[in-house]
Amino acid sequence: MIIAEQKNLNEIKNLIGDAENVLVLGCGTCVTVCFAGGAHEAAITAASLRMATKLEGHPRQVTDLTVQRQCEWEYLDEAAEQIQQADIVLSLGCGIGVQAIVEHFPSTWVAPGLNTTFLGLPTEQGVWMERCAACGDCILGLTGGICPIARCSKSLLNGPCGGSENGHCEIDPETPCAWQLIYDRLKSMHRLDALLEIQPPKNWRTSRDGGPRKIIREDLRLPAEES
Amino acid sequence: MPGDCHYLEGNANAKRRVAHVQHLLQQIGLEPGRLRMFNLSSAMASQFAEYVEEMTRQVEALGPNPLRIHHSNTPLTEEET
Amino acid sequence: MDSSTVTNGYVSGSNLERVLRAGHFAVTGELGPPPKRRQPCDPKKAALLKGYCDAVNITDNQTAIVRMSSISAGAIAFQEELEPVIQMTCRDRNRLAIQSDLLGAYALGMRNVLCLTGDHQSFGNHPAAKNVFDLDSIQLVQVVTAMREDCIFQCGDVMKGQEPRFFIGAAAAPFADPLDFRPYRLAKKVKAGANFIQTQLIYDIPAFVEFMRKVRELGLHQKTYILAGVGPLKSPSMARYMKESVPGILMPDELIQKLELAGKPWAGKSKDELTKDEKKERAQAWKQEGIKICIELIQELKKIEGVAGVHVMAIEWEEAVKPIVEGAGLYPRPEIPAPATMDAVQE
Repeated sequence: MIIAEQKNLNEIKNLIGDAENVLVLGCGTCVTVCFAGGAHEAAITAASLRMATKLEGHPRQVTDLTVQRQCEWEYLDEAAEQIQQADIVLSLGCGIGVQAIVEHFPSTWVAPGLNTTFLGLPTEQGVWMERCAACGDCILGLTGGICPIARCSKSLLNGPCGGSENGHCEIDPETPCAWQLIYDRLKSMHRLDALLEIQPPKNWRTSRDGGPRKIIREDLRLPAEES
Repeated sequence: MPGDCHYLEGNANAKRRVAHVQHLLQQIGLEPGRLRMFNLSSAMASQFAEYVEEMTRQVEALGPNPLRIHHSNTPLTEEET
Repeated sequence: MDSSTVTNGYVSGSNLERVLRAGHFAVTGELGPPPKRRQPCDPKKAALLKGYCDAVNITDNQTAIVRMSSISAGAIAFQEELEPVIQMTCRDRNRLAIQSDLLGAYALGMRNVLCLTGDHQSFGNHPAAKNVFDLDSIQLVQVVTAMREDCIFQCGDVMKGQEPRFFIGAAAAPFADPLDFRPYRLAKKVKAGANFIQTQLIYDIPAFVEFMRKVRELGLHQKTYILAGVGPLKSPSMARYMKESVPGILMPDELIQKLELAGKPWAGKSKDELTKDEKKERAQAWKQEGIKICIELIQELKKIEGVAGVHVMAIEWEEAVKPIVEGAGLYPRPEIPAPATMDAVQE
């Protein structure tokens, strides 16, 4: 899922600026699960802002509300009234949520309360790690289900480099070497032969390098006259 | 005491959460010393009294909660806190 | 060797290639463009290597610290009559820049290129930079080979005009993890077209012998020239540092002990007790021992089947190259005449 972290309160205060009426909008999906922007966090952020702005001598009206997901118009519609009443919406959704609010309520000023960081999973409670780079051309079938684009610091397709030591990446002893993981897994599955093939240069067009991406599913689109 | 929690990891979890809230208080502009955790069992009555006195002294030294001082010097309403 | 060579047998005609082809034990050196000075390479350092190396590596933003580019410094070194091995990393350039730079490098007279992945930018002085790594080192070897052999760019477009004919090198880290995989990774580089290989620093001969045994089992020594990395140690602490903190380097305790023994006359006193002169003498003694060890290592490496030469890394101690090369019996360097005309290579 999408993993994000809250910005620090100081940065959030700067983003709020002089707005008198602030709506902190939480999101009930990814950021709830990574404890960055769910209902609980929205309430705490709102209270923190009330306290902090009061201490500075310019108290604001700060309310909070959480929708199921910020990235779908139907859920944002449920919060339309509060969104439109606010001077500023502090979105605790991921970057997609922030942009969705802006697209759906163009006359509303929205500030991001989170730094959206990566696509990943919790390896243990309280620890999340990056797993997917959304490259648009998944090669997990070649590497035993471990992604070298996301998990190798150099995104090598014919790794490891010479910096792999004791299963760790040269840039950080806490970062596992993806290629060591791939090697171990393929070895355990008796499929090491796969590593003897030279993987050709990647076509990065399907990733963000090729420009902002879009998918159209004609089978799912609503016919114009019915919509 | 640490490691002796009736709920096993309860006091360890609480310790981490208290640290988190202290950090949040600092970000807000309040003194982290206004929140503190002490470990003791319900049978340690005199220790409890000592801790209460210690905490009282600590908070008194910090002064009144700045949030309770309205800029027009009126106490905050329930809603405002 | 390689079936895709031109009529006179050379793929590039570079001095390094000629020396190796003629069956001599080759010697390459290393020169790093200085990080801050405007001079591309210290002429004093270049002079220390001239005549003692068949070709000299010119590093490319090594450890991700910005310096004059390898190709530019190499072009200038070439004018100083030093044959460069330019380095191309995958960290800083995408496939367009790589191919474009190589066309230019060839036009400027470069004939040897070492294809490297590159240290991650977080090590250097611009950690905030964007990653490139469009290609990895093995794909890079393939691209450079295809430019030479098939006269095509990576996208498949046919090259018009002179194709760059490089003698293509790659690096090997025999003792990096996963250890078992390293000979196979070398095999991939050879399969991709690597004409020569330079290894990481070797101090542990038995371990390297074992590595080379696996390399020979795969027949790689017959398809590529392997140059073993050697480097003189300056002190026991340098040796210890390499043992503990540099990935991929195996440092036998025996060598650390030899260095410590060389410093024995001054061992009774602590660092603060030694006079400036005593420290100088001790440093000299360590350095002499370091050079002696390096010579002994080269002599052992020469005995290993499949080792075609050595790559001497004496960064910031280029004065050591002369005694090492001479001491190992590798001086003077052979002079193999260039092909009649470079055109003969280009046909």
